[in-house]
Amino acid sequence: MKTITPDRLDQFFSSLEPVWELRLPILLPDGTRVIGSLNDGPLALHGGAVSGKPTAAFFPQQSTLFTVTDGAMQEPPPADRPLFIVGFPPRDLACLRFIDRFFADGWRDDLYFRLRQRATVAGLSGYCGPGGSLISPAGGDCDLEFFWDRSNWLVTAYSETGRKIIAGLPETATPEAAELFLQVPAEFPDKNETLIRHASELLRTNRVPESFWAEIGDRCIACTGCNLACPTCTCFGVQDWRSAKKTERSRMWDSCQLDGFMREAGGHNPLGSEAERTRRRIHHKLAADPQKWGEISCFLCGRCDAVCPTGIGIIAVARELVARFR
Amino acid sequence: MTGAPLRDSLYLPSECEIITVTDLTPGEKLFRIRRADGLPLGHLPGQFVQVSLLGWGEAPISVASSPTRDGFFELGVRRAGTFTSAMHTLKAGDTLGIRGPFGRAFDLPRLRGQNLILISGGCGLAPMRSLIQYCEDRPSEFGSISILYGAKSPVDRLFKEELAAWDASARFACSMTVDNISGRDCFSGSVGLITALIPPLTFSPDTTIAAIVGPPAMYRAVIAELHKKGLPSDRIAVSLERQMRCGVGKCGHCSIEHLYCCQDGPVFWLNEIELLRGAL
Repeated sequence: MKTITPDRLDQFFSSLEPVWELRLPILLPDGTRVIGSLNDGPLALHGGAVSGKPTAAFFPQQSTLFTVTDGAMQEPPPADRPLFIVGFPPRDLACLRFIDRFFADGWRDDLYFRLRQRATVAGLSGYCGPGGSLISPAGGDCDLEFFWDRSNWLVTAYSETGRKIIAGLPETATPEAAELFLQVPAEFPDKNETLIRHASELLRTNRVPESFWAEIGDRCIACTGCNLACPTCTCFGVQDWRSAKKTERSRMWDSCQLDGFMREAGGHNPLGSEAERTRRRIHHKLAADPQKWGEISCFLCGRCDAVCPTGIGIIAVARELVARFR
Repeated sequence: MTGAPLRDSLYLPSECEIITVTDLTPGEKLFRIRRADGLPLGHLPGQFVQVSLLGWGEAPISVASSPTRDGFFELGVRRAGTFTSAMHTLKAGDTLGIRGPFGRAFDLPRLRGQNLILISGGCGLAPMRSLIQYCEDRPSEFGSISILYGAKSPVDRLFKEELAAWDASARFACSMTVDNISGRDCFSGSVGLITALIPPLTFSPDTTIAAIVGPPAMYRAVIAELHKKGLPSDRIAVSLERQMRCGVGKCGHCSIEHLYCCQDGPVFWLNEIELLRGAL
């Protein structure tokens, strides 16, 4: 385990740029923390989960599948440098692990793994949560992890690539610091874990009436913010963009909260009401995915609850659902 | 996982050439297509392909011909939106892109040796035709075969010449119906819903399998009639239509609860999906 002092962080990350395409939490002028490059704003490791879908690094809002110019088809060229992404708290790492599995299952999604398989991911934990709160260490699921002990960043590597990246750090963490890192996971209970499991059980045992979804659906304004912020939402549409000389086929994020999401050319729409669409959003994470993948695909990052203007993010809905039907 | 991509990347279509375009009805055309590399498509009855038109995107279309017919494959396409309208402007010699074949086909190993009731409505006859042709080309593999087909009107019937040939063939027992008929139509079948064709059938549920392909509104009524005849849900295969955008279980548009229609289907045994919300 290594230690790096806060004043040396910028220099450390800058030194990696010749080899890596760096993405890390930065602060935008409006005060928003997002994953970006050092050119976009000052480094902002403190504050917990960043705004926006962190898995967008590998599943961008828009990806070019191919372009055709004068009849010649071309795939987008590979990136010059592999990605090195810092800023995944444990819950975001769990999301990344889930969609890694999703995109690898059956047909391996080469577009996703073109970015993902060369990438190095760094977790973020310690007393760097909102207001200095504690984020439990991931202890894996990433190549290396930065842990804020209130004075310094303790850095530990879990992969060979991670070890190479931090090999140049001169400081070695004290045994006391390492012990702190190891002891922390036991101190991290979360009442929302129990809540979401309870809601999942109610859904899987069909104990939620239709009237509930009609009621929640009435509150949905179809802004799609929940889907766009969710790290495990992977739905996309495909569209062609035509110009005089070039046609580009892209895939882009889509939302199951939109009326046209499943509508067929013949008019049939399996998700033809707001109630159906709202139910699908919650049911997919809490009942369908557990059946298919053996785990709930909401890892309680809280982003959909934070962005929803009408208060029907997944944790809010789960809370209401458990309060009324347990 | 079923099917095989024609290219290394999942999302790159392969070039195919249109051999012929035939009008099936005023709103439906049949495209006979071959791969530019001359290889067979490699599909099974019930599978679909993602058809790619540059500038228009992609759409999932079921294969309407049997893999037993060499050198080409056929797609029956109803003009229903911008993509299919663009497709209807194509002619022989034009090229288009194909990804696939994708999806779960009719369960041929289970169908072999059984008596079959093949029920289709409207343009559902196009995917069903793949299975009918397969049975036609391998007659010794199956028991008796009944073809039930319903359309809106006589002019809306697909594959009219083949329907007549199947009707005349000793291999098939055909029953046809239309919802409406006018005085000018020449049609010898019955008038009414397709559900009316099922009660007169005589079959043993233990040795019979039914397959259904049709518009969403048709399934529940047809299934109810089959159940009344004693045919259990694990002997009824249904092919479901969804708006697949990727064909490979990633885009989410065809999910039915925990299943993906493009990979777990489009052909399902009824007992696999009858309790899933929104499946039928």
